[in-house]
Amino acid sequence: MTELLTSAELFGNVAPLLAHAADFAEGARPEHSATYGWLLLFTPLVGAIVIGLTWKKVSDRAAGLIGTAAIFLAFGAALACFAQLMGMDPEERHILAGYTYAQAFGVDFRFDIYIDQLSVFMALVVTGVSAMIHLYSVAYMKSDAGYHRFFSYLNFFVFSMLLLVLAGNLALLVVGWAFVGAASYLLISYWYRRETATAAGIKAFVINVIGDVGIVVAAYLLWTELGTLTIPSMLANAEDAFTVAPSPEYTAAALLLLVGAFAKSAQVPLHTWLPDAMEGPTPVSALIHAATMVTAGVYLICRMHPFIEISETATLTAAFLGTATLLIAATTALVQTDLKRIIAYSTMSQIGYMIAGAAAAAYSASLFHLMTHAFFKALLFMSAGSVIAAMASNQDVRRMGGFRKAMPFTYVVFTIGALTLAGFPFFSGFFSKDEIISYTLHRGGAFTVIAAGMYIGAILTAIYSMRAVFLVFHGEPCDEAKQLEGGELAHGSPVNPATGALEDTDVGFPGPDHQIAEREGEMRTAMSVLAFLAVVAGAVQIPGVTHLIESWLEPVFEDSRYAHDIPSIATQWIGLGVGAAIALTGIAIAYWTYVANRGVSERLATRFGRLHELLSNAWYFDRIYDAMIVRPASAIASFCNNVVERFVVQGIVEGATGAAKSGASRIRSWQSGLARVYALSVIGGTTIIAIYFLVLAK
Amino acid sequence: MNSALTLLILLPLIGATIAALAPVKQVGQIAAVMTLVQIGFLVPILIDFQVGVELQAYVDEIWIEELGIHYALGIDGLNIFMVALTVFAWAIATFWAATKEWEQPRMFYAMLALAEAGTIGAFVAQDLILFILFFDLLLIPFYFLIGMWGEGDRRRATGTFMIYTLAGSLLMLVGAVAYGVISSYQNQTEISFLLSDLAAAPVGGSTQGWIFAGFALALLIKMPIPPLHGWMPITYRSTPLPVLVVLSAVVAKLGAYGFLRVVLPLMPDAANNFQHVLLVLAIIAIIYGSVMAFSQDEARMVVGYSSVAQIGFVLLGIFVLDAKGAEGALLQMLNHGIVVVGLMLVIGFLAARSNSERLSEMGGLARSAPIFAVMFLIVALATLAMPGSANFVGELYIIFGALSDQFVYGAIATIGVPLAAVYMIRMFQKSMHNREHAEGRSRELNATEFGLLLPAVLAVLALAVYPQFVVERIEPNAEFTVEAYQPSTAVAGGGGAAVSKEADE
Amino acid sequence: MDIVWYVALSAVIFSIGAGGLLARRSPLVMLLCLELMLNASNLALIAFARMWANVDGQIFALVVMVVAACEVVVGLGIIVALYRNRVAIDIDELDSLRDPTEGAISD
Repeated sequence: MTELLTSAELFGNVAPLLAHAADFAEGARPEHSATYGWLLLFTPLVGAIVIGLTWKKVSDRAAGLIGTAAIFLAFGAALACFAQLMGMDPEERHILAGYTYAQAFGVDFRFDIYIDQLSVFMALVVTGVSAMIHLYSVAYMKSDAGYHRFFSYLNFFVFSMLLLVLAGNLALLVVGWAFVGAASYLLISYWYRRETATAAGIKAFVINVIGDVGIVVAAYLLWTELGTLTIPSMLANAEDAFTVAPSPEYTAAALLLLVGAFAKSAQVPLHTWLPDAMEGPTPVSALIHAATMVTAGVYLICRMHPFIEISETATLTAAFLGTATLLIAATTALVQTDLKRIIAYSTMSQIGYMIAGAAAAAYSASLFHLMTHAFFKALLFMSAGSVIAAMASNQDVRRMGGFRKAMPFTYVVFTIGALTLAGFPFFSGFFSKDEIISYTLHRGGAFTVIAAGMYIGAILTAIYSMRAVFLVFHGEPCDEAKQLEGGELAHGSPVNPATGALEDTDVGFPGPDHQIAEREGEMRTAMSVLAFLAVVAGAVQIPGVTHLIESWLEPVFEDSRYAHDIPSIATQWIGLGVGAAIALTGIAIAYWTYVANRGVSERLATRFGRLHELLSNAWYFDRIYDAMIVRPASAIASFCNNVVERFVVQGIVEGATGAAKSGASRIRSWQSGLARVYALSVIGGTTIIAIYFLVLAK
Repeated sequence: MNSALTLLILLPLIGATIAALAPVKQVGQIAAVMTLVQIGFLVPILIDFQVGVELQAYVDEIWIEELGIHYALGIDGLNIFMVALTVFAWAIATFWAATKEWEQPRMFYAMLALAEAGTIGAFVAQDLILFILFFDLLLIPFYFLIGMWGEGDRRRATGTFMIYTLAGSLLMLVGAVAYGVISSYQNQTEISFLLSDLAAAPVGGSTQGWIFAGFALALLIKMPIPPLHGWMPITYRSTPLPVLVVLSAVVAKLGAYGFLRVVLPLMPDAANNFQHVLLVLAIIAIIYGSVMAFSQDEARMVVGYSSVAQIGFVLLGIFVLDAKGAEGALLQMLNHGIVVVGLMLVIGFLAARSNSERLSEMGGLARSAPIFAVMFLIVALATLAMPGSANFVGELYIIFGALSDQFVYGAIATIGVPLAAVYMIRMFQKSMHNREHAEGRSRELNATEFGLLLPAVLAVLALAVYPQFVVERIEPNAEFTVEAYQPSTAVAGGGGAAVSKEADE
Repeated sequence: MDIVWYVALSAVIFSIGAGGLLARRSPLVMLLCLELMLNASNLALIAFARMWANVDGQIFALVVMVVAACEVVVGLGIIVALYRNRVAIDIDELDSLRDPTEGAISD
């Protein structure tokens, strides 16, 4: 068998294959290696796999510590990347490295990571906040039966998010985008025995896939215009794109990128999944649905900013939809009765700020707010988790009250978070939110309206955030609070409020034990760090004094049209003053409504009943989508099943097979078994043939 | 004469013969072990494979001289991975079958092996009549496999399957013979059915259209594409699961392969003329298949209709007549085959635990089965072409190709992507999540089940990490197949920007 | 003599045999008619052999006789078996090889 290879030939063919596979290119410049970047990316994945594989052999606490350690290591690697970049020339701070993933016909789909100022900034925020949340979860999830699964999924999520922000290839960014969506799905339906949780999971996943599709088609359009999918090359070619008038392809690409961004960041109209996502455990809400994943849309816009800026349609759409979300979410948060949902709608609203700010080309301002928001929102969720634990998993704010004395630590950090959110003077949220607003105002034109909307949103934000504080911690202590004051943590047999079904604590969902911050050191440590950052982080961007983030990110956004069109220091300080006034007014209104005059809110609710209904039902978006999409889809499906399949398709099948069968049976009937008929056929047929040939011969 | 491919075709039969000599209890196990021999035989062929358009391991002997029928076999980028998929899928199917009891096992494994031989032959045949011969030959063992060992209404299923497929095949045979005869008549050459000869001497004009219609009908029935998919529901319900693995994973791809190997090279004018018809059919397949998939209660039918949708994407990739689309289509044929193997195994395991294949009678089966849940999830996410899987790469290329050439069709086809997410996650959730059904008993995979499912999961993961392995091997053939339709497949914008990229390949 | 007479005689005998085959109901008589037909063709063969002075026709006639003998043996054996089993010896009743109404693979 000469065709079979000798072993030498075999090896000769395999070796290049292996060499090719090991072709993990380092940076083209030998002195800039991407090792820290690869470490940063893969440490969480290794953590997830290790926890997953050792789930039976390792104790709960060990798994939690492995997971947390992995993220701390990743944070360390991110710092190393930061230091590496600091050691480079400011104009040249970028490293690209990777391998060919699926390249053909000019479609350069590569697995490349791109380490530059923006990605390192995002990586630091992501890994830093994740590390704190992991630490928090070590204690918070203690009584959960699926502890190992939780940490494995959480680590996998961090890996996915890092893949997203480090991606140097647009197709790879889509991969990171989808992985984040998958991780979010796994964590939302973490308590997979709850029907509400699994329903929320599939909803989030499908909306996320719609976003994926948007980015893929946008990638195609950009690829045809620019000839490459590698992000730094695309950005470099963007300069040529700027000089050309925006073609329909660019506008379409920009709008499709926005579809992706909006789906991920839960902006109107693709926002309906976020409130339902609160079905996941509170650390998940903190990490994914406040600090990191939902901000991926903002990251996308900032990363691909030349292609969004080039199309005025896209920037205006983003700005208006962002502001609309801002206002819709803020108004909805005013009347929500579920504590986590208040915070969820608040997230939606704050991201509206970031998106509108990015649309107004205030990129570093938006990213600054992204960072501060990560701190205080995660903090708020963590504190909410503590409260919910004290309430034996009940999340209804109407049943809460007066936890001030029973949970002093939680009260303090929750209030810090709420004040930062409201924009209390000199806290970090104050500086970041007002920076966005003053840049937007400076942009002028249509953006003045946007800025006005932002100010309205600011007052609403102040009101609802302090509403939460006052409802939960002030007033008469509720039963659970009294119990806690006496030193005992409330227990209850948990029932799913939506379906009334008894929760299955065997396989998940917190069992009889709950963990509150006052009793758990890990939780307190994590929350304190975040509280500290929430208060002081504003110091990095005090107008006229410090501009650390802005100068760090400057080279990335240099090619923006508005790079040097910034408001003056004086304007910014006026803006800060206005912002302070609004925040304090809002806090005062909240105090008046919920502390000084209890009962006003109920009277307002009955007086403006219809409005209250509208807001409680989140502006009826869920119902609209149900009627517009879900019902018609089911109708089409049953039409296909009952009409098309039965009559059309089976009709064709029956037709074809029926024709064959009836034709066959007709021929078969000739086989009567009567020998004389056969004999007649033979003789008759032969005679006919004989006559035919006789005639033919003539 | 290079006999590697002939041996590859005959190996399954040899294996079945050896297995038939064993005592009744061991027949299955021997047959399964013999499939490993096939894998061992295939590996050197795979490694020795040269990237390029040339046919390799080529055989060409005159068989029936008067009719110009050659015994010609060859491998190139179009079929190397199909052959690999065939051997892989059959190996797993045989191992799975070996874990079950069958009446008359010798006949069963012989039929299974004959089907494999026919499929491999169809994939490597380079003569038109030889291709059709193998194409129809593999129907005979399926007649027995479904008719004798099937479940439910198997007699009607077999009858429907056979008559329906044969009706199309008849038209294809007529078309093929006509093509050979008319081609030699029009071009004044000696009659030959060798594909390369026919490609060099095509039939002209309107005749091509009729022949195209005949071929298209047969291949569309095989794939199956709505509205010609009527045989699929009843056949899928009646076929035993190990046989359904190979029917769904491999035999269905034969239809798409037929388009790439025979129809596009031999009937370029007709393909251009009928392009929109086929594209519309592809879109119908994607959307109709997806809608049906998310409304089924039987797990098999979810996979069946999802296969319709996925093969719709493949058809789209082929008929946009763009190199990227063809590349994506070829990649998806391999990916989808692997994923279907995994899904059928999962359905079998789910049914073993809940005593039913209906999703409404399953639930919460992830409870004591984390490994099963993870493996099922990997396969499910790959099926819905989640980015990060090789299925996404295939779909990306198909969508890019579609948008390049036929923007509207490409845009409409993207609706299929979220629909795929709906039906796969629904299937996963209804079986693994939520409350357990009263009748179900969740348990972890035992060693056998794990061993059966692991190869498919590993294949999915391996391709997800490095799809370039497949992509670069099929690239020249994808280009060559559609070369007649496109002036060049150079990228827009001049082959990548000349920006300092700080990494090389 | 002119060959026409012999062929005509052969044709007449053949027709009588064919007519009898179609008209009669007893298998025994049908066998006799078959013999008539076979011998009629033998006659034609030998006549042509004589005309062309070629022995092939006579050899073929011998072959036909052998075949006829074998066929008569089998046919008579079947008739005797039918008689012994008290089955009516009427060709129109012996139709058990007909197509049954219950199908094999269809419906």
